[in-house]
Amino acid sequence: MMKWIWGSMLLLSMSFAIFAGNPDSILDSMLEGAGEAVTLSISLCGAYMLWMGIMNIAKDAGLIESLSRLMQRPLQKLFPSSKKAIAPITLNLAANFFGMGSAATPFGLMAMKELKKEGNTTNTASDDMCMFLSLNSSAIELLPTSVIAMRAAAGSQNVYSVVVPTFIASVFAFASAIIACRIFARIGKKIKR
Amino acid sequence: MSYILPLLLFFLIIWALRKKVDVYSSFVEGAMESLPLLAKILPAMTAMMLALALARTTGVIDALVSLTVPLLKFLGIDETLVPMLVLRPFSGNASLALLNDVFNTSGVDSLSGVTASNMLGSTETIFYTVALYFGSVGITKTRYSIPVALISGLVGAIAAILLTPLFM
Repeated sequence: MMKWIWGSMLLLSMSFAIFAGNPDSILDSMLEGAGEAVTLSISLCGAYMLWMGIMNIAKDAGLIESLSRLMQRPLQKLFPSSKKAIAPITLNLAANFFGMGSAATPFGLMAMKELKKEGNTTNTASDDMCMFLSLNSSAIELLPTSVIAMRAAAGSQNVYSVVVPTFIASVFAFASAIIACRIFARIGKKIKR
Repeated sequence: MSYILPLLLFFLIIWALRKKVDVYSSFVEGAMESLPLLAKILPAMTAMMLALALARTTGVIDALVSLTVPLLKFLGIDETLVPMLVLRPFSGNASLALLNDVFNTSGVDSLSGVTASNMLGSTETIFYTVALYFGSVGITKTRYSIPVALISGLVGAIAAILLTPLFM
């Protein structure tokens, strides 16, 4: 999937530029995008270090294990073959819920690492990985912090009017992600047979 | 609200010290893990972001938007919301900029303004998330995860469009 999406993005964009008689823009904008990726990753690295460091303290204090035990039951159904990933998954969903993207990402990355360890060793995503990714691309949000900040900056009379509808809409998205994942996983199994 | 996290952190450190954890070494050890992670993420992010930058400057994304306008207009979706719907999975910053456009043209507290806010809040930057999370563990065969993410994003956006008038 990635190779087709990425490949067609590049080919389509390049043909646009060539037809528009603007071949110079191709490499310029690719370089610009690459630079953006580096700056973004470096600036995110601080947040990763902060949260991974804190999480390691929690792990050494035995708290991660307690959290895993606590959340095992509710999350088992969604991630049947990934016991070790339960704690980082919980922390990731919680951080998303409170609108703390900078903490959600490092927890999510650690969860992915655990999912990979227990799943396959190939470059193919497991069912649990697909489920986790889908949940993260539709994460339930109690406080959409960046939107609220933008509304405040734009001088809204009612900054928080978006909290309830955003929450309900994200619940719909979340539920549809779980259902769609289940359906696709089932279809995949049938095809294998 | 803003006290929750600092307090949690405060008690975490007290708890860890009581459990005789060397909090300093433990933090450093954990933070160290982010470096190999960064090395894995960076190439995947670069690949995705250079393709996005290219699609943006060459006008592919604009073309995609103008292609979907008539279709969505037919479905009764406000024209100003279309770019948001199309761009959202690709770029968080671009969608925030679009949100500001909607605020400037229709007003923050107008129906379009609030709907756009809800759409942005209830959806995610899917392609960024995929590149980041799957890139970090070297997954390239993403199976059904992208279609599922796009479906749920669409569900979230449609729910936002339908729900917003009820809360105005």
